[in-house]
Amino acid sequence: MRLQAALFIAACVSPAVAIYSDEVNHIDFHHALLGAPSPDSTFFLKPSSSSNASLLYTISDKSIVGAINPRDGTLIWRQDISRSGSASSAAGILRGLDGNNAVVGAAGDSISSWGAQDGKLIWENRFADGVVADLELLELEDARATSSARDTIALTGGESTGVVRRLDGDSGETKWEYKDNSGDVAFQVSSSPTEVFYISLQSAMLKGYKIKVTALDPVTGRQTHQQVLNSESDVASPESILFVGANTASPLIVWADKSHKSLKVNVIGTKQISTINIDNTSGQDIQQITVHAPHKLNSLPHFLVHYETESGAWAEVYHVDMKSSAVSKAYQLPYLQGQSAVATNNVDANVFFTRVTDSEAIVVSSASHGILGRWNVDASSTDRVLHAVAEVVTKGKTVAVRAAVLRKSGDWSLIRNGQTEWTRPEALIYAVAAAWVEDEDQEELAHELEVEGHEGLIGAYIHRVKRHLRDLQHLPEWLKELPKRIITSILTDEVSNLDSFGVAQSIIVATEKGRVYALDTGRQGAIKWGVQAEETSHWDIKSILSQPGSAVIYISDGSSVQINSSTGEVISRSAPTNNKLQSIATFEQQVGSSVIRMGSLGIQEDGTPVAPFDDITGFLVTTSNDGRVLGWVEKDNKHPVWEFVPPSGQKLIKAVSRPSHDPVASIGKVLGNRSVLYKYLNPNLVLVTAVDEKDHTAGFYLLDGVSGKVLYSTTQAGVDPTQPIASAISENWFAYSFFGDVVDESSSKGYQLVISELYESPLPNDRGPLDSAGNYSSLHSNIPLPHVVSQAYLIPEPISHMAVTQTRQGITIRQLICVLPSSNAIVGIPRHVLDPRRPVDRDPTSAEAEEGLFRYAPFLEFDGKWYLSHSRDVAGIKTVLSRPTLLESTSLIFAFGGDIFGTRATPSHAFDILGKSFSKLQLVLTVVALAAGVAFLAPMTRKKQVNMLWKAT
Amino acid sequence: MSSALPPPPPPQWVVAMNSPLPRPTKAASSIPDPPGFSSSRGGKQRQQQQQQPTAKKAEDTDALKMKKAWEIAIAPSKSLPMNGIMMYMSGNSLQVFSIMMVFMLFKGPIQGLINTNAAFAKYETPSTRGRLVAVKLVYVLMQFLLLALGIWKVNAMGLLPTTRSDWLAWESERQPLERAYFAFR
Repeated sequence: MRLQAALFIAACVSPAVAIYSDEVNHIDFHHALLGAPSPDSTFFLKPSSSSNASLLYTISDKSIVGAINPRDGTLIWRQDISRSGSASSAAGILRGLDGNNAVVGAAGDSISSWGAQDGKLIWENRFADGVVADLELLELEDARATSSARDTIALTGGESTGVVRRLDGDSGETKWEYKDNSGDVAFQVSSSPTEVFYISLQSAMLKGYKIKVTALDPVTGRQTHQQVLNSESDVASPESILFVGANTASPLIVWADKSHKSLKVNVIGTKQISTINIDNTSGQDIQQITVHAPHKLNSLPHFLVHYETESGAWAEVYHVDMKSSAVSKAYQLPYLQGQSAVATNNVDANVFFTRVTDSEAIVVSSASHGILGRWNVDASSTDRVLHAVAEVVTKGKTVAVRAAVLRKSGDWSLIRNGQTEWTRPEALIYAVAAAWVEDEDQEELAHELEVEGHEGLIGAYIHRVKRHLRDLQHLPEWLKELPKRIITSILTDEVSNLDSFGVAQSIIVATEKGRVYALDTGRQGAIKWGVQAEETSHWDIKSILSQPGSAVIYISDGSSVQINSSTGEVISRSAPTNNKLQSIATFEQQVGSSVIRMGSLGIQEDGTPVAPFDDITGFLVTTSNDGRVLGWVEKDNKHPVWEFVPPSGQKLIKAVSRPSHDPVASIGKVLGNRSVLYKYLNPNLVLVTAVDEKDHTAGFYLLDGVSGKVLYSTTQAGVDPTQPIASAISENWFAYSFFGDVVDESSSKGYQLVISELYESPLPNDRGPLDSAGNYSSLHSNIPLPHVVSQAYLIPEPISHMAVTQTRQGITIRQLICVLPSSNAIVGIPRHVLDPRRPVDRDPTSAEAEEGLFRYAPFLEFDGKWYLSHSRDVAGIKTVLSRPTLLESTSLIFAFGGDIFGTRATPSHAFDILGKSFSKLQLVLTVVALAAGVAFLAPMTRKKQVNMLWKAT
Repeated sequence: MSSALPPPPPPQWVVAMNSPLPRPTKAASSIPDPPGFSSSRGGKQRQQQQQQPTAKKAEDTDALKMKKAWEIAIAPSKSLPMNGIMMYMSGNSLQVFSIMMVFMLFKGPIQGLINTNAAFAKYETPSTRGRLVAVKLVYVLMQFLLLALGIWKVNAMGLLPTTRSDWLAWESERQPLERAYFAFR
């Protein structure tokens, strides 16, 4: 007994081990995501003037600026610029220039410059007069410039004013600004070698917009001349303008008439509008026209117009005569069925267009229609290409091209000379729900075991023998595989060979864009399949419930989609109902070490179940959108049996319950003198968090889910309700964290983590008023109140989400998994560190030390070994899921919401796994060597013994 | 071989030695004893003298035996203080050394108890049998004292399931009669 206790304490006291360096990328995986790259702000760029290799820069629709290594698709750096700016719906803008060591991005009302090489902030500037509408880097320096950093021309557009500013490349300070108070819509800026153009849209008298071009002096910012183009008949909204050339030798404005019959082109700075008739031979309506022009001052004034119809696309290349500003068609890329995307880039002055279609990638020069390079593309996907950026390199007569292609699914891949080099699943950043896949075969076994459980002793025995006999049919296969298994188990180390122990689980992830993915945690989070389950941009997923072989995704409108969890096929769909759902109730019960789900039920926004639940006996606890907690009994979905309303002024923000799989290994806590403090174990506990935004207080209420009785409540004063408040409950304890301000002399300011443990009685060896009763009723007898012990810690960072590790039997100590949004990390705090019985202001007595308690320190610094994400930058995590494996020591962790991160947590070390240092080969060789030695020495010794016998006589 | 042959008759001297001394004939008894030798009175006296010490000796041996037996019976109690000190000094932690000492502590008395009769077999005579019972009882008591020391030690080491925590594994979680299910966001 004491031995067990000693071992247990030893397991507790030794710190949770951090990951070993050779386990990185082996037991954990991380998809560092950016989001869908913005078409106008994605480009290849050399990070510094000295480097030869270029990086792929982009700003995503999540306003994350990132640099990707085009060789393997790894993220070199990224910065979330949406955090610093105000909430903006407009897409961010990112600009970079070859030879400039910075890229400049804008989101909302802030502009920031980032070091192209390392992603460090160079400067940041905010403007009060509206959001940033456009951004250009001045390519030509004036003679006075000394530094290599290029200045930025920024256009901010407010409600009635547009302001053009020139910002210093080194400091971001405004050199000059030009204010336009005419009430025009600020549209874009563009520059030529000699002038800066400010393009705005002037409301015409009746409808539409006139395009107004104001030329500014780049040095002083003074207006030099102004033109108004008569475009009101064609331009109905800012979206009608197809293209405003930026930083080109001949900046262009291109727009089309409404019927897509003709294209109007104006060379900025002139008044002349050239009209090009669109020669549509495809017989289909043109869906989209895009204009591609080089972005460099010294490049040839050529541009390409890409026309897309429903089923195909073609492109035309035009040349601009610099002198006369006339536009002439040079040649045409033929109409091709299927998807097509064009990218442009230039090598010195030569402009190259890269066209990626379903079957091939071609490179043409803008000067002539001869195809310089043609590669077959192995793009077998039906995924539509949204846009592409390309980089062409020429060597003599041959060209090589690599194109980064964004597909409709959100996959961003790089095609180099027709070969797909890498694919980044950027759509995973929109993940809103995830669920572990239930295996089919395990279910079968569980069913068989259940059958056995219901039979008598002899019947069960016969059943089991029969089952084992049936299993014998797999024996030949098993024997066939045996040599392979032995060899692989000897050659590979134990850690890599645990797939049969449930560490290689699939997880289904659904995104708000309607895509559903299955990731394999056993293969570094590789995508097994991804399907577009719904054509939507905002899929309001309430829950994913997985069952053997399939998963059902529930949407807020009451509809659901059932998906085959091994192939991703949509099995069935159910139509939406009138009831808008708020959540999905799952009736799950823990049986042994597995969880059995008996049913599920939609909960409406006001907290009422959509239907009475007849077949399940029990109570249902829901939250309503007006901030009440409601209790329902079966067969009645009209009147709740109880309701909990937080005190007036407090608003319910969160309610959590114990996980459905929450096994308790020991019902008591053994103290140092070997008496027992009995844990208050109640599976029906609910922890409700409510905040009072006016009084800055937060109330935490522990309810009994059956009777609705408040078992424990506490109120924290000085709470900042705008900071994240996270809570978690498991076993006989709960934890919550908040930002607390100073309210009196004894309180402290900072992020706090409070842990509370529930016991049946404050006295050891006492089971409270119910004593040794085997069961209890919350309704018929008065449920005893728990004895609560709490301790608070100051923590260095906010915690945005909490979860608890789950293991198969709950013997392993638990870790409180906390998401740290400010340092982009996930930390697993061992539970024994957060023991509220730690002695305060004194050293532990020997009995307490034996128990594993150590002196309380108010400041809890996160140990480096606790970081599950170790050195990774795991950004944007919203939810963390945990799942037990067949190994008691190991718990699978999966985090999503921004990045995708998965790992295996071993809170009490991997005590049931042989470590990497254990070499099976060495063991086998030792045994073989010993056997050989014995076989060799045995005859010798026998002979010697016989000789000895003769000699003795 | 010659197993069929009867054993050879014993030699004459063996027969003579085994058979009692024949009564001296009248004639022979009339032969006067040599000077200095008295066969009648002196022999008798001597016989008497010889007989008395033998009876006394048997009693003495019994007493001696009893004394010895008592010594053996008390002997375990002499090691009691030493063992107690040793046990006290060896600490209550679970180490190979202290476990071995405790094992020896148990092995001694148990072996002693098993061999109680053997230990006193030397001193067991029909006459001492009755008195030995008490001795044995004391002996057993002493061994039990040693055992008690061992049990005290084992208890101090925490190896006896005497506390609530030792039976915790057999206690079961109290089950609620009602179950609640949850639907939280």
